[in-house]
Amino acid sequence: MSAAVHGTVQSHTVIRVPDKAHAAMAPFTLLLVELSDGKRVLGHFHGTDLPAIGSRVAGSAAKNATIIFRALEETP
Amino acid sequence: MTTNVHVAGVGSTKFGVLPGRNLQSLAVEAARAALADSNIPTGKIGCVFVGNFVGGIMTGQELLGPIVAADLGLSNVAAIKIEAACASSSAAVRIGHDLIRAGAEDAVLVIGVERLTGAPRDALTTAMTAAIDQGTEGRAGLTFPGFWGMVMARHMHLYGTTREQVAAVTVKNRRFGATNPLAQFQKPVTLEEVMASPPISDPILRFDCCPATDGAAALVLTSESLAKKHGAPAVRMAASVLVNGPVRITDYDEITVHDGTVRAARRAYETAGVGPDDIDVAELHDCFSIAEIVDSEDLGFFAKGEGGPAVLRAPSARNSKVAINLSGGLLSKGHPTGATGCGQIYEVVMQMRGRHPNQVPNARFGLTHNGGGTAAAVTVHILEAPQ
Repeated sequence: MSAAVHGTVQSHTVIRVPDKAHAAMAPFTLLLVELSDGKRVLGHFHGTDLPAIGSRVAGSAAKNATIIFRALEETP
Repeated sequence: MTTNVHVAGVGSTKFGVLPGRNLQSLAVEAARAALADSNIPTGKIGCVFVGNFVGGIMTGQELLGPIVAADLGLSNVAAIKIEAACASSSAAVRIGHDLIRAGAEDAVLVIGVERLTGAPRDALTTAMTAAIDQGTEGRAGLTFPGFWGMVMARHMHLYGTTREQVAAVTVKNRRFGATNPLAQFQKPVTLEEVMASPPISDPILRFDCCPATDGAAALVLTSESLAKKHGAPAVRMAASVLVNGPVRITDYDEITVHDGTVRAARRAYETAGVGPDDIDVAELHDCFSIAEIVDSEDLGFFAKGEGGPAVLRAPSARNSKVAINLSGGLLSKGHPTGATGCGQIYEVVMQMRGRHPNQVPNARFGLTHNGGGTAAAVTVHILEAPQ
């Protein structure tokens, strides 16, 4: 089971020097996102262009799994 | 009934890549130097605290307190290791300070020590991320360069801080490190070299990052009366504060404002009876170049968003309102995590004695700021020169 979530990008980074557990994924993008309910989460981003701070993203949240976000076309 | 606490003696190894040295030998070298510097007889030491972060992970050695104390001939005193990530030894200073201030001990030896070099880069990154909550953000792959990369991206977005301003922190600190014999990096770098270094966690570049470092530093803390009795070259500890801040990046109300630093500074200024404008020299936790800018704002030296322009306005920094990281900081002197807090106090004590290689004339008040984890454990110490 997973739930759809929406939020606004607070910040981002591209991890190029990961720890051992994430070595196979690197480089990968992390987003700090404020969800619509005000809660902040850290998630991965799948997409070619890094979303701007302040832009809207959507993702699906499964229990005990890192959220994977994608960009939404709408902007604030 | 409380007593003033003094730093009666300081000692340090060189910071850098120190092959062939183990944790015990580094700690003992720094401790013996501090004891000799203090004039305090070893038999007066009531307990020993060893600040260390990843000794167990990186070297397999634990129980550092009793082992180091025994090597110093102090087997009969209480000795334990204190861990608060990169703030381990400054947290230990706070505990020693409180024991003396309360009259429970007359003299405490605090040592910080770490060995970080010689391991593969991914092993070091994994060890450092032990200070990130592994149940949440560690699972997502957050690292410390990643944390500060996010802080930097948002600081640039909110306040217009530029890539050049952030790079200028490294240039400044490398210049000071070049004249500090204890520093790991003793070669200046140019703005162009910083800007051309490879990305680590965007927008953080390699030269924005402090190095992995081996080293140890030690302090002898005593009551005012014991320091006077033995003629120690003592410097008064006007404030010693340890607070917790947010433990996850998602716990921050605003990641460019580090609440732990703000609260620790406020309490330290109140305790010492001074304000940020009274501080002559400061050693800040510049684990990444953007960190010095954020810290300088949260400590009240500059308004939020003014830390970046301030670096370019005062490139010499020795002539600015507060001279920051004259040791070279973590970026240049190095960051042997568990030893960094004691190392910062060592540097400020030398400034208060008027004997620092990058001396500020007539410095009266000095401040150290040391952060562990995602600024989750923060210490601020204020020292006052003898009048």
